[in-house]
Amino acid sequence: MSRNYPTRPETGVLLDVEDLATGFKTGRGLVRAVDGVSLKLDRGKALGIVGESGSGKTILSRSIMGLLPRRGVVRAGEVRFEGARIDQLTIKQMRQYWGKEMAMIFQDPMTSLNPLMKIGAQITEPLKTHLGMGRETASDTAEKLLVDVGIPEAHRRLNQYPHELSGGMRQRVMIAIAMACGPTMLFADEPTTALDVTVQAQILDLLEEQRRDRNMSLILVTHDLGVVAGHTDEIVVMYAGKIVEKAPTGVLFSQMRHPYTEALLASIPKIEQPSHTRLHAIAGRPPDLVNPPTGCRFAPRCQYAQDRCRQQEPPLTAGDHPEHAYACWFPVVTGGFDRPAATDATTDSNVAVTIGGLR
Amino acid sequence: MTLITDTTSMTPTPLDVPPAAEPLPKRSRSKIHVGFWIALAWVAALLLMAIFADQLSFIRLPTAAVKNHGRSTAGYKLGPGWNAWFGVDSTGRDVFSKVIYGARTTLKVGLWSTVIGLLVGTFMGLIAGYFKGTYDRVISIVVDIMLAVPPLVLAIIIVYRVGDLQQDRPGNPGILKWFTRTEQITVVLSLLAIAPLARIVRALTMSLAQRDFVLAARSVGAKNFRIITREILPNLIPAMMSVAFTGLALLISAEAALAFLGFSVETGTPTWGKMINASYRDMDKAWWATLFPSLVLFLTVLAFNVIGDRIARHYDIREAAL
Amino acid sequence: MRYAAQKTAQFLIVFVIVTFGVLVAMRLGVNDPARRMLGGTATQANIDAVTAKYHLNSDYFTQYFYWVKNMLTLDLGRSEIFSTDVRTLLRQKVPTTLLLTIYAVVLALLIALPVAVLSAYRRDGLFDKSAGFFSFAFVSIPGVVLGILLLLVFSIHFHWFPANSNKIYPWDNPLQSAKNFFLPTLTLALPISAIFTRLLRGDMIMTLQSDFITLARAKGVSPQRVLWRHALRSSVFSLLTSVGLQLSGLLGGAVLVESLFGLNGLGQMLLESLLRGDLLVIQTATAILVVGVVFTNLAIDLLYAVVDPRIRLARALG
Ligand SMILES: Nc1ncnc2c1ncn2[C@@H]1O[C@H](COP(=O)(O)OP(=O)(O)OP(=O)(O)O)[C@@H](O)[C@H]1O
Ligand code: SF4
Ligand SMILES: [Mg+2]
Repeated sequence: MSRNYPTRPETGVLLDVEDLATGFKTGRGLVRAVDGVSLKLDRGKALGIVGESGSGKTILSRSIMGLLPRRGVVRAGEVRFEGARIDQLTIKQMRQYWGKEMAMIFQDPMTSLNPLMKIGAQITEPLKTHLGMGRETASDTAEKLLVDVGIPEAHRRLNQYPHELSGGMRQRVMIAIAMACGPTMLFADEPTTALDVTVQAQILDLLEEQRRDRNMSLILVTHDLGVVAGHTDEIVVMYAGKIVEKAPTGVLFSQMRHPYTEALLASIPKIEQPSHTRLHAIAGRPPDLVNPPTGCRFAPRCQYAQDRCRQQEPPLTAGDHPEHAYACWFPVVTGGFDRPAATDATTDSNVAVTIGGLR
Repeated sequence: MTLITDTTSMTPTPLDVPPAAEPLPKRSRSKIHVGFWIALAWVAALLLMAIFADQLSFIRLPTAAVKNHGRSTAGYKLGPGWNAWFGVDSTGRDVFSKVIYGARTTLKVGLWSTVIGLLVGTFMGLIAGYFKGTYDRVISIVVDIMLAVPPLVLAIIIVYRVGDLQQDRPGNPGILKWFTRTEQITVVLSLLAIAPLARIVRALTMSLAQRDFVLAARSVGAKNFRIITREILPNLIPAMMSVAFTGLALLISAEAALAFLGFSVETGTPTWGKMINASYRDMDKAWWATLFPSLVLFLTVLAFNVIGDRIARHYDIREAAL
Repeated sequence: MRYAAQKTAQFLIVFVIVTFGVLVAMRLGVNDPARRMLGGTATQANIDAVTAKYHLNSDYFTQYFYWVKNMLTLDLGRSEIFSTDVRTLLRQKVPTTLLLTIYAVVLALLIALPVAVLSAYRRDGLFDKSAGFFSFAFVSIPGVVLGILLLLVFSIHFHWFPANSNKIYPWDNPLQSAKNFFLPTLTLALPISAIFTRLLRGDMIMTLQSDFITLARAKGVSPQRVLWRHALRSSVFSLLTSVGLQLSGLLGGAVLVESLFGLNGLGQMLLESLLRGDLLVIQTATAILVVGVVFTNLAIDLLYAVVDPRIRLARALG
């Protein structure tokens, strides 16, 4: 990269979310889409958030970024970014973070780019807003960004509209937009769900590459454990607005304890299935978020459920590995693979790679 | 021409709600706005007074001359007050009574033309939307044509020509004489309603025809007639109810506009539009003779619109369809 | 291109059917159209001349053919009833109505755009609620009533505007012209501005929920820019269609408003020629109105293709 970014500390906690809750006021009552989520993310690291459709992943990431509409939305808890509270900031204050410190890319590149604006204009927008670039500079930078994300004929693309590009290209444009101001933190909300399998791998590799180049932190949201396996340092599994298990990637795959995680792993789409088919592998539906069931929220669908599960809610308890935690009364004993559980996260990255390669 | 646009295909989706999740609750069905009841009360009161005008002691005959201390009030000699609530008009008649008797004609014409327009428009829209193809093309052209002429212009040309042809002249079709002036106005107004209604029904039918229950009925071999009458029509009814009231409101306005321009029912039968036409040039002298019919007209149109709007909200019909 | 050709063909079909329909409607059962056109005092020679010129003795198709031919050669004929050349007549009347409608559309858009955008932005807020209330009232108010109320308040009570808006063109006396056109314009504009507002507000609310808006916000772009540059732009298209769809009603409204405010335009001319049996003028006047309506809709439709890149592509493919 030719541009210089302001020098920042290389390591340390970047994002610290404490007990974040987010709900929507509706006619039926409060929809608790995110219910007491805590997580930490170090600089330069990648965190995967995994869960079925409707488990609150999108709302969680938007809530962290403060992007949800303010009307009809209830938000509690603390979000610290680079040590500073950002959950109480006004929109005006948040704009200093949006696009500059934190960026986001969305699931569907068809609908996430403005259909009526040229690609060039969409990329230069944050450049002009945050870096005060003039037209010429911004346009040149935009072209460089497009080259960076691997778009051929970058110059010509600047004057094209989103619909003139393929899905994969559009997602690359999204990444270029997100990268424009060199953010410290990127939220990627199902960045590959709408794409072909071959393109998916390319986009994930591109994200990985950009992250390493820029020492950027990444939150990778997906409903596909296979996607996060090869590309994250840590994984958080969400169910019905809560974290049910979290662990370093290798640990999770080797020592998963939560039945839901197990079920998710069992439902990784096979390579021949189009991966954006919604996940139906786990029988039943996620619970009503207005009146969640008492006790364990997964109980109605859990094959190991006992009476205790339906009465008492399991707290997030530590596992064998110090950074492993899960919320289950009757955790499963082995992981998804018939091999001895590894204890060290670093050696486990092999496992992760294998799983990633499965796809 | 895209005069016909399928506006019902745009479904607003709330912020990223996955379809698998439970549907969000619709606007609560039970809660009906107070506005609805007020509107209904206004319409009911007006209807009752119009129907029983002859029996009600506080309503004079529209032809009765109002006297003030034994003297004639012709020439707006009496303003609004106890003797005549809405004052008197240039001929010394009670504006209030005329408004009530005017309601008779106006509501009758409006209701009938809505009914006729609704029947024909629904029929055309159903055929076009369900069978598509040639039917659709022909009906769409007809609708385009009807919409191409400004409605008021279409109406005055027809009303004028029909009146003209009714006169006893050699070569004029005698059949037109069977229709009274009121009936002619009714038919002309219903003509205005047909095209927009056909358009709405067509769009609704098209989207309904692709719904699962219709496809299911078709797959088990149900006949077209059966599908239309059993599956599609019943599902159109809430929307049509709402449209009927808004249409009624529009037609009452149109009737007033026509009457104001001098194309109205038989002389001697008051309508609001006619009353406005007869007195608005003297507004500087006698505001009441114009203002009261205008206000009653407005409130009535407003009431029907409120009713239509509330029905639409109650059944969660998208405004786009209108 | 094929698309444009198709649309133009449709336009022609509608135009021909409507004008032919008007011709038949106006002449049906009229025994001696020439005498009607010329008024009671015409000499037999005059009558014969007019009959020959417009082929009034032939069947309707022939008459229509010659009418079209005359129109195309801009030989609009002479109106005895207005005792002037129809072309001169149109030159006097059309600008009034044209100005009135253009003013009304522009004013309606000037009102609707900011109101709708603000309503959508602060949805269900106090402003949105009051705007919704007024929109509903203005959608409901019959043109006659609105005109009467405006007259009563601004002209008769406050004397701010003349009750009889004798037309004065802006190029003759801008101030007086503005004064004369103000109330008629307002009468036409308020109801359609309410329609535009409701439409645009609904569309904006939907647009504001789309991902690309969230993306724009996530870029740190200012809320104003999100609203006016990103959201409004894509909503404006449905507004554009609506402008076309309202035009027919608007021209009808113009007839009413001209009559109410004594503005001497196309509408007045139409009414007068109708009542006095001037077939030629009615036909020409309706033709102009129809062309106005249909052509504007056609133009908007084709304009889409130029302005909206999505449609440009879709049409290029289809
Ligand atoms: N605007 C809203 N109003 C009410 N409830 C909402 C709203 N948006 C989202 N929800 C609810 O919040 C829950 C979490 O939604 P979210 O979009 O975060 O799920 P997700 O995990 O991202 O799913 P997906 O994989 O489908 O993207 C869902 O059950 C949804 O019904
Ligand atoms: S607590 Fe019980 S119900 Fe919940 S996941 Fe564990 S075993 Fe299943
Ligand atoms: Mg999501």
